[in-house]
Amino acid sequence: SPAMELPPGHLPAARAAAVAVGYLRYLRGGPARGLELRELRRARRQDIDDVGHKYCLELELEDVLDKDSTVTCTAEVLYHLGSKSSAPDVQVTVQGELRSTEEADKEFYHRIRSLEKELVAENIPDSHGNVPPELEPIHLLAWAASGYITWQNSTENTKLHLAQVKHVRQVKRSDEDLQFDFVVLLHEMVSQEVLPWEVTVLWHPQHGARVSQCHAVGAGR
Amino acid sequence: DQVLHIVPETFQQVQYLQLLCSTFMLDLWKPLLPEDIRAGEDLHIRVPAPLVQEVKDSLDQHMISYRVLIPDVQKLVDQSMPRERSSHRQVSGDYVYTEYHPMEEIYQWMTQIQKNNSELVTQHFLGKTFENRTIYYLQISQPSNKPKKIIWMDCGIHAREWISPAFCQWFVKEILQNYKTDPKISRFLQNLDLYVLPVLNIDGYIYSWEEDRLWRKNRSPYENGTCYGTDLNRNFNSSWGSVGVSFNCSSDVFCGSGPESEPETRAVAQFIKNRKSDILCYLTIHSYGQLILTPYGSTTKPPNNYEELIQVAKEAAAALTGKYGTSYRVGSTALILYNNSGSSRDWAHKIGIPLSYTFELRDTGAHGFVLPANQIQPTCEETM
Repeated sequence: SPAMELPPGHLPAARAAAVAVGYLRYLRGGPARGLELRELRRARRQDIDDVGHKYCLELELEDVLDKDSTVTCTAEVLYHLGSKSSAPDVQVTVQGELRSTEEADKEFYHRIRSLEKELVAENIPDSHGNVPPELEPIHLLAWAASGYITWQNSTENTKLHLAQVKHVRQVKRSDEDLQFDFVVLLHEMVSQEVLPWEVTVLWHPQHGARVSQCHAVGAGR
Repeated sequence: DQVLHIVPETFQQVQYLQLLCSTFMLDLWKPLLPEDIRAGEDLHIRVPAPLVQEVKDSLDQHMISYRVLIPDVQKLVDQSMPRERSSHRQVSGDYVYTEYHPMEEIYQWMTQIQKNNSELVTQHFLGKTFENRTIYYLQISQPSNKPKKIIWMDCGIHAREWISPAFCQWFVKEILQNYKTDPKISRFLQNLDLYVLPVLNIDGYIYSWEEDRLWRKNRSPYENGTCYGTDLNRNFNSSWGSVGVSFNCSSDVFCGSGPESEPETRAVAQFIKNRKSDILCYLTIHSYGQLILTPYGSTTKPPNNYEELIQVAKEAAAALTGKYGTSYRVGSTALILYNNSGSSRDWAHKIGIPLSYTFELRDTGAHGFVLPANQIQPTCEETM
């Protein structure tokens, strides 16, 4: 069937946008870059017989560390029909340049590599919303990892956000990657549940962030 | 020293203010130079303590309205120094509105507020929580011989939404600090009474401080004490139990054993039912999302006064954006957020309160429920 224009303020479009932003946050996020949705400009939906629902979106994103700079991007989010186990397909095109994070990435990399003891931290942010400056890059890495979890686990009836990093433990590696084992708390807007996830993230200045494993943690709170 | 906020209305006022600043050598915080003072734009000046009264008198004489932005600059400087949080802090005139406060301090604050502003404020008993704590609301009412309509605002239905009670406290403070000098506020109070409930879900709020920062519901036990908490905003008698809820206690949207099964819900519902013919507007404050939500959550079919509801909400959102550029979306819950039933806002509208809104404050998910305390001030200022 033909594509239908959707009011960008309405919930189906907002949920699809959250998936696209999660995906992009994972792809392009890191210790020195966190991408946030500033505005959903336009949304269209197409129901494809025997396949699923495809959303075409025009988004404006901002870098939380540099709020004056924004980029526009177009995204396609395809939710597969009737499938609970298959992640939505996402394609994103970014127009324009994102600010380079080369310097900050190098600095973070060397700082962590030269730590004598493996980094361990809890409750980022704390109850009052505070993040100590030296943990902000860790927070942003967790946010990038949550983008992956959001992308992989969203349906048209859910909307996931990172609520808090419960725990993080650095694991020293013999290769060049940094490894962080996180427990993150994700807030699901429709059910209002807070869902704990364990996720391991590898990161390198040249290779970016990769989720090497993740799973939802056991029973409820 | 005080910092005053003025918005000059005419060129003559601008000229007068420029003269005032240079004559008294006042410290301009915004804009930085007297020649940049403009009509229609914010002006912030710091006035040294010995000159405060004289400057205010002069402004009054020239019919220039002002608002006290910072009542005591030294206090603010002292507070911005890092210090330990002591467990027995004095709560009086030096209450810090830009921090989150535990329930004990909010109780003390209410008492102090009534004491310091007894000509305008009275504290009232609303009901008791499941764990037997007292729920109070504050009535802000200018004595008058004419009957006045009521605006009701409640905060803290959901425990983890800390910015909500912070807003209610800020709101009360702003009204009380400025009702004599701000013509908008004083006109408001001539015609309307304000009823503010700073924390409805007290048990849940305390639990979020002591045990689980992301707790949402109240603390009533179910299933023989193996499971706790009803979502109070699914517990009201508006299409109760029909959509967007769970009948399982372990869910964060558990709607309770029946409509108004929870003491906190009953406390609010009873009061509002009794006074409904006087209540013009029902506001309930939540986070997060940056939304102004209108009825309904249980259906996309619009309420009878939908046009008016949306119009008023759009104007509010525009005014809000005008402050710091924060954008708020406007619409019914069912269309822009999710389906739900049993919400307090839908119930208030259903029983006949024409203007009924849910505010979802900052932000849109970057911090979510754990909004940094340094965002309390801008969030509250724009929402006022």
